[in-house]
Amino acid sequence: MKRWGLIALVVVAFGGLGWLFVPGPAAPPFPADLGSVEVVAKLVEVPPGAVFQRELYHYATILRYEVVSCRRGGLTPGTLIHVAHYDPWKPRAEAGDARVGALGGTVRSFVAGDRHRLALVSPLDEHYMGGLVDKYFGQHAGVTYWALRTDAE
Amino acid sequence: MGEANVSLSSGGGKPFSVQQFLKGFASWCAQRPRCRAMANRFTLLGLLGFACLAAAAPPAEVGALATEVRSLGWVAYSARSPRGDWEIYAMRPDGSDVRNLTNSPDTEDFYPLFSRDGRQLLYRSMPRGQTVSGNDYGRQGRLMLARSNGAEAKALGGDGEWTWATWSPDGRQVLTLQPKGFAIVELATMQVIRTFPRGGFYQQPTWSPDGTALVGVSNGFGTGWSIARLDLATLRANAVSVADCCTPDWSASGDRVVFSRRRPHGGENGGYGWTELWQAQPDGQGATLVYAEVGRHLYGGHVSPDGRHVLFTGNLREDGDPANQGAPMGLLRMSDTPMIAEHPPLRKVYPQAKSGPTLALPAGHEPCWTHSPAPGLPR
Repeated sequence: MKRWGLIALVVVAFGGLGWLFVPGPAAPPFPADLGSVEVVAKLVEVPPGAVFQRELYHYATILRYEVVSCRRGGLTPGTLIHVAHYDPWKPRAEAGDARVGALGGTVRSFVAGDRHRLALVSPLDEHYMGGLVDKYFGQHAGVTYWALRTDAE
Repeated sequence: MGEANVSLSSGGGKPFSVQQFLKGFASWCAQRPRCRAMANRFTLLGLLGFACLAAAAPPAEVGALATEVRSLGWVAYSARSPRGDWEIYAMRPDGSDVRNLTNSPDTEDFYPLFSRDGRQLLYRSMPRGQTVSGNDYGRQGRLMLARSNGAEAKALGGDGEWTWATWSPDGRQVLTLQPKGFAIVELATMQVIRTFPRGGFYQQPTWSPDGTALVGVSNGFGTGWSIARLDLATLRANAVSVADCCTPDWSASGDRVVFSRRRPHGGENGGYGWTELWQAQPDGQGATLVYAEVGRHLYGGHVSPDGRHVLFTGNLREDGDPANQGAPMGLLRMSDTPMIAEHPPLRKVYPQAKSGPTLALPAGHEPCWTHSPAPGLPR
């Protein structure tokens, strides 16, 4: 009796371990032609108050990145760019809605120092019409990009 | 508060202090659960009694205010009908003589806007069952144009077109706001006569009475919800207010902008704080409180055509709650402002504010006022 119990325990333990290592659903491949710019960039910081949970209102927040490499769009490594992320408190795969259309990515939350693979478009006004949190207001005059896809790199 | 020391001793004994006694009693009571519970009940009963007295005996000034505004034209607003769909209603400004202008049970009709002469009405319409959004109502469904009594309604464009439409001062043109920018359309010819970039404006544009500018909600001034003014000749924009703001409207003379503004808060009301009604000059100078409450967000400020009164909605939820019933509307005199609904902590914030009458009106969303008799004419 004891032996059967031990066998059952081992089976359950190995089954559980196996379940832990079963890969989850794979993220859809990064589209080759999404947006006009595709970069790998490091998230420089997440300014205080830039990301907060709001159930009743949607908003986008502007985050600053340093370009690491550029696949499309002609940005040089080391360039600082400003990127608007819609409802940044949500995982990127769940952020899109009827208001802004399809958004996506594997990033679940924004952490300073993380590297992201980004598909971007500009100008922001043509792609997003809504509340915008800009902790860099007055500090940047260049293009602000709209993030269509944000994958962890 | 001064010291409440009352000496009851006649000789050299220790004087009796009312404050000391109350402090001692409170401390003694706090250690006894039954006493504490009873004290809580007394406090609650006291507050309830005060609220009942306040509600049951409206001051005579409220009646005077109702009489003052009763014959001053019509207020259009959207509200749920007894069938459950949203309709456009008109009522006298005192809340009387309510009439359904749209009578269309198969659609949700919302966001009414009288032309400044009060002869025409814009509103939006979408199939029944869709939810009116507190953020996006200006771009939901399709734009409808009707006489101001609801007659001869016709659609202008299709779903999602002519978004955030607002009247020109003469009622001959409509300005719309879309992602690609502003467009001005001549209604007689349906031709777009001017387009220009929106420069961060994204909702609730309103054309000034003199036609030279517009105000709207902008994301171009560092905060997500700023009120800004756009000069239509130079296309230069300036901030009117950069606290979380929305639902701007012009005063009748165009020298003030009335808007909703979030009071700085320490996280109360679930982190949302409360929204107040404010006004400022179009250049952002001279910002002053119009009206504040604790317990309701004040949105949808709309100044009467003669500039003497202002309409608003008093919302329990901060988005105006259009998905449910809307919120009770209210009306007050501009001459009574800055004004607050009495509440001790709010009085500390605004010690100079007045306490005037507010006229409670039916539940609705986005009220709009004309002095024209046209909305009351038979269809």
